[in-house]
Amino acid sequence: MIKVGILSCAHMHAGGYAHGLQLLPNVELVGIADENKERGEKFAQHFNIKYIPSYEELIQKVDAVVITSENSKHKALTLMAAEQKKHVLCEKPISVSVADAQAMIDACKQNGVKLQTAFPCRFSPSFKRVKQVVDEGQIGQIIAINGTNHGSMPGGWFTDKELAGGGAVMDHTVHVADLIRYLTGAEFIKVYAEIDKKFHPELNTDDCGTLSMTMTKGIFCTLDPSWSRNSAYPVWGDVTMRIIGTKGVINMDMFNQKLNLYNVDDRKAQWLYYGANTDAGLIKSFIDAIENDTPVFISGEDGLRAMELALGAYLSAEKCQPVELPLVK
Amino acid sequence: MLKVGILGTGTMAKTHASAYRAIDGVQVAAFADSLPGTLDIVAKEYNAKAYTNYDELINDSSLDIIDVCLPTPLHKENTIKALATGKHVFCEKPVARTLEDAMEVKKAVDAAKGKFMVGHVVRFFPEFMVMKQMIDEGKLGTVGIARTSRIAAQPHGVKDWYENMEMSGGVILDLIIHDFDYLNWFFGKPKRVYAQGLFKKTQEEMDYALVVIRYESGVIAHVEGSWAEPSGFNVKAEICGSKGIIDVEPYKEAPLTINLRDPEVKQAGVIVPEAPVEESQYTTEIRHFIDCIINDKTPRVTVDDAIYALKIGLAALESIETGLPVNID
Repeated sequence: MIKVGILSCAHMHAGGYAHGLQLLPNVELVGIADENKERGEKFAQHFNIKYIPSYEELIQKVDAVVITSENSKHKALTLMAAEQKKHVLCEKPISVSVADAQAMIDACKQNGVKLQTAFPCRFSPSFKRVKQVVDEGQIGQIIAINGTNHGSMPGGWFTDKELAGGGAVMDHTVHVADLIRYLTGAEFIKVYAEIDKKFHPELNTDDCGTLSMTMTKGIFCTLDPSWSRNSAYPVWGDVTMRIIGTKGVINMDMFNQKLNLYNVDDRKAQWLYYGANTDAGLIKSFIDAIENDTPVFISGEDGLRAMELALGAYLSAEKCQPVELPLVK
Repeated sequence: MLKVGILGTGTMAKTHASAYRAIDGVQVAAFADSLPGTLDIVAKEYNAKAYTNYDELINDSSLDIIDVCLPTPLHKENTIKALATGKHVFCEKPVARTLEDAMEVKKAVDAAKGKFMVGHVVRFFPEFMVMKQMIDEGKLGTVGIARTSRIAAQPHGVKDWYENMEMSGGVILDLIIHDFDYLNWFFGKPKRVYAQGLFKKTQEEMDYALVVIRYESGVIAHVEGSWAEPSGFNVKAEICGSKGIIDVEPYKEAPLTINLRDPEVKQAGVIVPEAPVEESQYTTEIRHFIDCIINDKTPRVTVDDAIYALKIGLAALESIETGLPVNID
């Protein structure tokens, strides 16, 4: 039995991960630790687990932790767990700076524990099929990718630059950035970005933008990470990729398995996703890596490379010039 | 009776000819093509004169309107000659292959007696007219992000001039210049352009480009253009603002599908979707041009509009070559 604890539920994905953990027969979800007592107790009650006020105390009781705190707190919690020889599944983006992410990777390596970045989109059946078709060479060599990860403005700490490390670009660049790297086996070498705040003037962070990336292997891509979905839109957002190859093209709209709901009280049409639970796939992969002592499927390095793209995009937008990657050589 | 002479006998020439024929008081009186073959066929169909020399058609004093449907590099010379005769001139997009050529056309237009319009036909598509109306009425609030896509298989023109990138300017100057034009119509003056694409970078018989335009108003527009699709044609547009989102995928909107059983063959028949219209958008466009001639009005697409669309295209080509953003003056 692998004992797991959740460190902070500041990020709403904590719920999906808790559910994923409780689905597994070889996992005991021990509890939730959170510095916010009200938030932690509510979460504990919902999942019928223990609320433990102290992170240190929960870490002592488990083999592995899932970190779903605010982005800027990932580093401290990861270091705390790694030093106690506990494996870490860390919510994306892995951190808010290259130095912090590198410190997390180093700490886990030195302590001989696993560090996985939470990129559940890799577990989407549609994406897995894309990967298979590309690997089989069916679309030839990849030339370009046109991606989006639209979302709704999440509010709360997500729009606090200190806690989140940025706005929409920080929040929504990393998922598709990771899918692109994993799919192509190429690395980002240059980014140009136009970033702005147009949808929510009251925010202190960006809320929209478009990134243009150049990769090794001669591949080029764009990515729209905007919080451009309003409350009237039928769904929270999307993950889409158009993959252009020398022999064919793939269109993926990851969450386009939906029911249309028209309810008079909601005053809007809604799309209800009925596809696979990618969070559960992510959690199972992390637990399997611990159980079988195999390398994690999505490494800390993967998390760092994806986050670095977002950081490069901010630099580019500031200078109105392309920025070379990696930022730290 | 207004008499029209059409330079060229390709797809656009035939489309325009059928548009003129649908309008009362207008007659297609002549075609010109340097090669016989199609020329004889269309001339016979329209009971029109057939010239194998462009100048002879241009100088035919019985004609009132010259419609230039020739490959892009031939637009300037023939447009200027036609304007000099005092006739009205309609020119297919793009107005010219280079900015220098376009400025010469502008000079000729400013000095000409006749009306002049460029075939940026998207301004006459009802869905884009409604889209503009919604933006102008403030239904979207402050626009932040615009995303458009125009994707097709590589066309094969006479002597494969489409494939000759230098001549056609590839997918950027031939296809998504449509998007540049209507985005300018929506959002005003473009400020800078960053683009990635295959222009002059591939030996494959295809082209693909991802273009980011930043407008002075702050709008970030992302335009995808593809001649990399194995088959099909599709258009998409999505405009996101602080108060609303509007999107359309016109070729997917089919009010009608016709599914016919083939009594001879045991295999399944083909379902053909249709979107019948009262009038083709090309006819609406030509009808507008005729109205401008008869009632002395300013055409919806001016030579300056055509030049701004071209400027974005040329800036995109330059950005692809330099890897840097290009400012538009």
